Order: sequence, then C-alpha cells, then structure tokens
Amino acid sequence: MISPVKIWRNQKKTRNLLGREGKILTWTKVFVPPSGFEGQAPYIVAIAQLSDKTHCTAQLVDYEEKQVKIGQKVRTVLRKTRDPGTEGVIPYGIKFRPI
Amino acid sequence: MFKITMFQTGFEFWSFEFWYCFEIRASDFEFIINMEVAILSGVNSKFGELWETSPRDLVRDVALQAISEAGIKPSEIDAIFVGNMLSGMLAQQEHLGAFFAEELGLPVSAIRVEGACASGGLAVHLGVCAISSGMYRNVLIVGVEKMTDYKPEEVAHALMGAGSDVEREAGATFPALYALMAQVHMTRFGTTSEQLAWVAVKNHYHATLSENAQFPFAVSVEQVLKSSMVAYPLHLLDCSPITDGASAVVLSINSKHQIPNSKTVNIIASAVATDTLGLAQRKDLTTIDAAVRAGKMAYEQAGIGPSDIDVCEVHDCFTIAEVLAMEDLGFFKKGEAGEKIAAGVTTLGKGKKLIVNTSGGLKAAGHPVGATGVKQIVEVFHQLAGSAGKKQVEGARLGLAHNVGGSGATAVVHILKSLK
Repeated sequence: MISPVKIWRNQKKTRNLLGREGKILTWTKVFVPPSGFEGQAPYIVAIAQLSDKTHCTAQLVDYEEKQVKIGQKVRTVLRKTRDPGTEGVIPYGIKFRPI
Repeated sequence: MFKITMFQTGFEFWSFEFWYCFEIRASDFEFIINMEVAILSGVNSKFGELWETSPRDLVRDVALQAISEAGIKPSEIDAIFVGNMLSGMLAQQEHLGAFFAEELGLPVSAIRVEGACASGGLAVHLGVCAISSGMYRNVLIVGVEKMTDYKPEEVAHALMGAGSDVEREAGATFPALYALMAQVHMTRFGTTSEQLAWVAVKNHYHATLSENAQFPFAVSVEQVLKSSMVAYPLHLLDCSPITDGASAVVLSINSKHQIPNSKTVNIIASAVATDTLGLAQRKDLTTIDAAVRAGKMAYEQAGIGPSDIDVCEVHDCFTIAEVLAMEDLGFFKKGEAGEKIAAGVTTLGKGKKLIVNTSGGLKAAGHPVGATGVKQIVEVFHQLAGSAGKKQVEGARLGLAHNVGGSGATAVVHILKSLK
C-alpha cells in the first residue's frame, strides 16, 4: 500500500510526464501478476523513449495487438495504476497509449 | 584505484598551524591491504520448499557445520555478516545480525547486509573488507532466505522492492524486467527462445549431480518452450523458483600458520559496482554494466583475464541473465553467448574450461535470494578444493562468482584461487 502522502508528493512528477510522445524500445506481456495487479493481468509493460530522449517504464493501454511492437509510437496518459488501499486514495500515474 | 588523502596538523617554527596532504596510490597499498583472504569452509543447506525448517534452523545448521569444518572453535569467530533481502517485508523481522548471533550463541559483531539478490555476495565482500582491514581475523558469512511460507503473489510483490517505484507502479515484476532485456537481446542479436532454453537444460543437468538442489531432475528444450508464459518471452522454466535455503562460509586471514586444514582456497578479488535502480535509465538494455565494471575490477585485482577462469557461478535468475552474464564478464562476444551455451561449451563433461553453474545455478538449485551469493562462493570453493564430487571440474584452479541485485543495479564479482 502506498502512503497517501507519497501519492501526493509524486503528483508533480506525474504532471511533468503527461502528454509526451515517445516510441516503444521494448515490451513484455505479464501473465503472472504480483499482489495488487491480479485483476489487470495479462497486461503489457513497456519502456518507451520520450521526445526528450529520456526513458520511461509504464503499462500500455487502449491498444490493438498489432500495436504491441518495438518502435510503436505512444503518448503518455494519466490512468489509475492500482485499486485504492484502505486509506481510500486512488493512485494515478503514467501509462502509454499508442498513437 | 584506491586514493586516500591524509591531513596532518603540524606547527611551524612560528607557531602557525598548517595543513599538508599527500596522496597514497593503489601501488603503495599493496603491502598494506592484503587481498588474500582464505576460505576455510563452505556449506549449503538443502534448497527447496522447507516448511518444517525455520530460518533459525537453516542458519544454525550451516553455520555450525561451517565452523566445525573450518577447524576453528566457535569462540574464534569475530564477526557475522548476514545476507538477506525479504525478512522484513515478509516476516516483519529486521535486526538479523543480532537475531542469528543469538541463535548461534555468539554475541559478537553481527551485521545484516542487503542488496536485493546480491545480498549474499555483498555479505561476502564485506567479510573480505573486514579481514583485509585487519579489524577481524575469522568471519562467518551467512546468506539466508525464507520465501515459501508466503503466497507467490506476495513474494513477487516483495521482490519488486529490488526495482524502482516507477517499475512497481507499472506492475513490472522481476520476470517482466528481464523479459524486457531479453526482447532487445533477441531483436538485436538474434538470440532465440531455444538458446535461452538451453541455459535451463544445462543447469538442470548439473543439478542432477547435486544433492542439495531444489530441482535435481533434467528438463528438455521442448519442456521449457512448452511451459506456460510468465512474462513474454520468458516461460515458467526460464525463471528461477521461490526457494528456502541458507549457505555459510568461514573466511580468515591467509596466514600459513593459521590454516589448520589442507584445503587452501583464497579469495583474490572482490569487487562491487552499481548502476541505476530502474531498468529504463540504463544506457544499454542488453548489458548489465554494473557486472561489466565489477568484472573488470575483479580481473584487475586478481591480475588475470576471462580466459583464465576454469569454473564459475553466474546469476541466472532467468535464462537470459546467464546469457548476459557470459557477455558482460568477457567470456563471449556480445550477442554470441546464446549460441555458445546452446552448443554446450560451458556444460560439465562437454566443455573443457569455463564450466558454468555446476551448482545448477539459480534455475535448478533454487534461488533463496539472500543465500545465493554465498552459495556461489561455496560451490566455487569446493570446485577449487577438489571436493565437488560428481560435479568436479578436473584441474580447476581459478573460479569466479557473479551475483546481481535486481535487474542489474548491483553486481558483485569474486575471484577465487586454489593454492594447491
């Protein structure tokens, strides 16, 4: 469970990463999820290179199978990352959406 | 390179305070820091799903046996270093130095060391530093992990503590991180799933010769490729398991007068390097640069090169990790390790030199996280001492152990030499 304080503190980082374009450097499909991600599996995790040459790790969302490939162009979007813990604060973060 | 700057105050003729400093370089240190640390003994517990055995039992048994085989009295142990990653997160038990010191009845200096899956190797490294510093004479190193008391999803979640918070938020499990590296290696160099499967086949074959391995049975390439997908392209049988286990070594100052038994194996290099916590921030996704740097430092400390190594234990948490290790450590050219391993050149009985993971590696011996780095030292120790039994690599004189934390954020490389 992530602390609500940490979720709040990370909002700045998340804001700076929104709406950026990038391309997939590598991807995998996770079939065996850890605690907290059971409802989401299988899901795609990818590393993308953003327009400023930095790299970012996130899940892929709103995709068709043919878009799951190295070189696919993506944009960073804001999505719920996991279910809220007992504190009730929903964690949001960056995911990639093919463009 | 070691550089130490020393300051001294002195008084000048006119009662001025003045400072002067001078540098000492590595070459000056050769007579001060003696890297020749002797390994007196090495013991592994059975690795596996050991529900009846507590961490106390695991450690007590290997530690007492190691002390006994070392030919020294328990009271001669000056310090205990414990390698462990998950005790806090899974069992809510921290403070493992004191915990095991009490269990062993040795209320001496006792320190727990953590570096994810490199915890064991780091504990050995600290032991080398402790003895080389002259502050301790005989040191007990223990690596231990208790994982099978918990549900696999809980353990997978805890293991993600080795990575970055961004990776945790993305649900990037350990298999996923290594799968991300595998994809790039396969795309760039043409490494195939079949070649990766050969790593598992080889390590399982080696495990059939080992009584303590978790999975002492052979697997075929077909079985690996047919096993269910964990994180594409890594199948179940490409992944090391969840395991309970403990390993112990006793290290001592290398002194001709002190070593009571005839096994003379020294640690002649111990090097650690780190890299970014998160995989995304690495320079090259097909290289664990920390391992490259730790390897280079170790070869330099030992005054040897990759071609001198007779036997080694590398960190095959996933089959791709062994492929990367063989390239990172300079054994094979970048992109060629998959082909070489599949051809059998590092398999006991097939290859002549550079036999890899006779313990069965992490894949087939099991991977009790904190114990693995110490287990590797135990295996290489027995190879060089000539006591590896059915797994013996004939004439092995120089060995290497490669232990990695997380997806490559920490790497520890040790080189051992037989003095026989």
